[in-house]
Amino acid sequence: MNGHLTEQQLIDYQFKLASEAGMDEARAHLETCEACRHRLEQLARKFASLDLLRGEIKASEALVAKTVENAATRSLRRTLSLPRFAWLGATAAALVVGVALLLVSNLGPRPQRQIYTTNAPVEEKNAVATQTGAESAAEPERLVAQDAVGGARDRQSGSAAAKPQMAPAPAAPTNDSLKAEGLARSVPVRAPEETPHGVTTNVLGAAAPVVQLDVTEEKPPFAPASAIELVVLPRRENVQLTIYNAEDLTLVRERRNLTLKRGWNWLQFMWAGTLIDPTSLALEPLEHKGEVEVRQLVFPPRLRESGRWLIRSEVSGQVPFEMTYLTSGLSWRAFYMGTLAQDEKTMHLESYVRVANNSGEDYENAQTRLIVGQVHLLDEIATLAQRQYPYDSPANLYGEGDAIGGPEDEKELGDKDTSKPAVVTGFMGDLEGLERKEVRKEGLSEYFLYTIEGTETIPNEWGKRLLSFEANDIPVTSLYKYDQERWGDQTVQFLSFANDEKHKLGQTPLPDGMVRVYGRADGQGHLSYVGGTAVKYIPVGEEIELDLGSARLVAVKPELTDYRAENHTFDRNGDVSGWDEVQTWRIEVANARTLPIDIEVTRDFETAYWTLKLEDKGVSYEKYDVNHARFKLMAEPRSKRVFEYTVTTYHGVREQSLTNVQDSRK
Amino acid sequence: MGNDESLIAAHLQGDPTAFRELVRQYGDGVLGYLFRMTGNRDQAEDLFQETFKRVHEKAHTYRGGSLKSWLFTIATRVTIDLVRRRKRLTLISLNQDSDCDDENSGQQASALAAGDAVDPADEMVKEEQKEQVRRAVESLPVGQRAALVLAYYQQLSYSEVAEVLGCSVGSVKTQMSRALATLAKRLPDSVGVTK
Repeated sequence: MNGHLTEQQLIDYQFKLASEAGMDEARAHLETCEACRHRLEQLARKFASLDLLRGEIKASEALVAKTVENAATRSLRRTLSLPRFAWLGATAAALVVGVALLLVSNLGPRPQRQIYTTNAPVEEKNAVATQTGAESAAEPERLVAQDAVGGARDRQSGSAAAKPQMAPAPAAPTNDSLKAEGLARSVPVRAPEETPHGVTTNVLGAAAPVVQLDVTEEKPPFAPASAIELVVLPRRENVQLTIYNAEDLTLVRERRNLTLKRGWNWLQFMWAGTLIDPTSLALEPLEHKGEVEVRQLVFPPRLRESGRWLIRSEVSGQVPFEMTYLTSGLSWRAFYMGTLAQDEKTMHLESYVRVANNSGEDYENAQTRLIVGQVHLLDEIATLAQRQYPYDSPANLYGEGDAIGGPEDEKELGDKDTSKPAVVTGFMGDLEGLERKEVRKEGLSEYFLYTIEGTETIPNEWGKRLLSFEANDIPVTSLYKYDQERWGDQTVQFLSFANDEKHKLGQTPLPDGMVRVYGRADGQGHLSYVGGTAVKYIPVGEEIELDLGSARLVAVKPELTDYRAENHTFDRNGDVSGWDEVQTWRIEVANARTLPIDIEVTRDFETAYWTLKLEDKGVSYEKYDVNHARFKLMAEPRSKRVFEYTVTTYHGVREQSLTNVQDSRK
Repeated sequence: MGNDESLIAAHLQGDPTAFRELVRQYGDGVLGYLFRMTGNRDQAEDLFQETFKRVHEKAHTYRGGSLKSWLFTIATRVTIDLVRRRKRLTLISLNQDSDCDDENSGQQASALAAGDAVDPADEMVKEEQKEQVRRAVESLPVGQRAALVLAYYQQLSYSEVAEVLGCSVGSVKTQMSRALATLAKRLPDSVGVTK
């Protein structure tokens, strides 16, 4: 060898990339050349740095578990393009985070406004304690959750509830008295200004002042856990439902006018038989905000599914309150009905939403809003609703930024939206008769808000269907596919279009739902069911391919007509080391339909080393992936179309010959 | 029957622990490969799940031989499918700040917690070198990178790499040779700290 080894030769030698002759030559040179040995060592040190990255990636146990679980749960075949949803998920997540941040900013503790009951004079506290026989050891400054030990119960407040205007002032509730009075659990709550927007309060069944005191009474009255009470029932003035279809979650805001007296007022409410989350209850006066304060929420012992608000009022008379809460049991789903034109080139599409109420509560004249998008829930509302006592404070549960976006947050988000809301005429069967309704659609970033025009009465256990939109003559492409590996011997029909203006859609995203497609069975316009599939959320601009299922009138029959093995090669021992297999296939496509069809036939050659010969000019093919070829052709109505192809697959060392041919072509 | 084949056979017979064992055994290697190919931890984890999902579904098509090669073949196809779907390969930085910084800060914190084990200055230099190596590997064309990762990091033989990538051994060696020649110019001269 003349001169020294090149760097490339050294590399090839070190990594055994050179031919045998090249390796021998380099080895011989290195034995005699110290300079090259030195350079080889330098190179080796350099490449040793590659090891810095070795082993830095580990599959966590969580990933392994998730992978095993996912793999075991075989997903349904989906023809929607998934990767585009990555940004959607990210945006939705960002929105949730944003909403949470808004809530945090709204819910953050404001100690100066944190008001607790009550400053009971010591002598009164002692008096009550004496009366009930309890020990007086509690702090007078605030009420804390406590379990009572039973004992005598003062029913005076109960009678006061029956005649609120005439009720004498009951004793102030001190810790001692509460201890003595039973299992009362009192929870400090925020002042009205601090009511979390996203966490709603609710009063179901009954909401009425139980006890009212004169304003001169500085101490709040104690309302015993009496099971027998008389209450007035203020009606809902209005109610708004915001239903999230991604979770079993509905935000309810309702307004009721309550009659307050100056001073302390107890407000009792019950939600028996419903699915509301009692920890999400919130109450806020809509007027006289500086003069009316919601001080405390207590959950009396033994009285299941009821709570009492303690309200301090400086005004006397009617005050409108807004109560908000979360409930489960209300849901909505979208579904679609497509009707193909006779030539199957266009489709009429109708989209519906169905609202169902199984929440245990009738909602009368409710403004109904439907949210498309994911929300993050820490708890299942249905589970919370079934708890005997809502022990924790709504403020504690939802005040740390985990709450769902509330009405104000939604409003803010809605304000940021720049897209013009689309209004589509709809129809709705109403209890009072048939009315034309509109479903208004507004984008909230990745959320989408559908507001049903006017109000709806949705009684418990009822469902209602609304037409969301309809579009005529949407251009569609019908394609049949045959792929033995995926669908066996069946041919499957697909229908594709896009949610864009070109396809007379694209005004709004299309929520998840079932699509059913019908065709015209005859000239008289009778419909026949073609097929259906569930679709995921389809953003604006996204293409969709509907898998309509097996096509009975289109059949594909592949037949092997010739097979031979050739070009055998042998190794030193005389064993076969390589060969080619040449197969000739005859593919028959039978179209029994009265329409011409386009069809794709996918064939698997089970090896990456193949070449294909196709002489039929009416058929095109492409290499779909390393193992597969895909043929495309058109079949006339009520006819059979036959084509043949010859595929040569290369095995053993013959694979190399194919690679060499391909390399030389490059 | 080898251990790999036993695992597949057990999985096919419905033994749920076999598949878990398979994922555990080969998970690090497959994830490492996918991470090097995509440069993105999240994307790599998605592809990881897709790879093993296909393994789960297609286990019956495994015909013996190197299970590792078979797994990497599937992982490669999954990566190719991603490319095909997206029309572009998001072969982005191996220099994932979040991943690496988190890992590094964790490692550094552990090291510092150990007190006498590691000199922070050494660690810093080492991290810089690591970063340089990442950038060098990242800069390689896809084919060269795949060959390098499979042959060097996953320690597959050249014929196994050829099987995985669906090309000849000669092509693999060519890719490898070019990759190493490029790296020779871009890698740090030596590993360690010069004091």
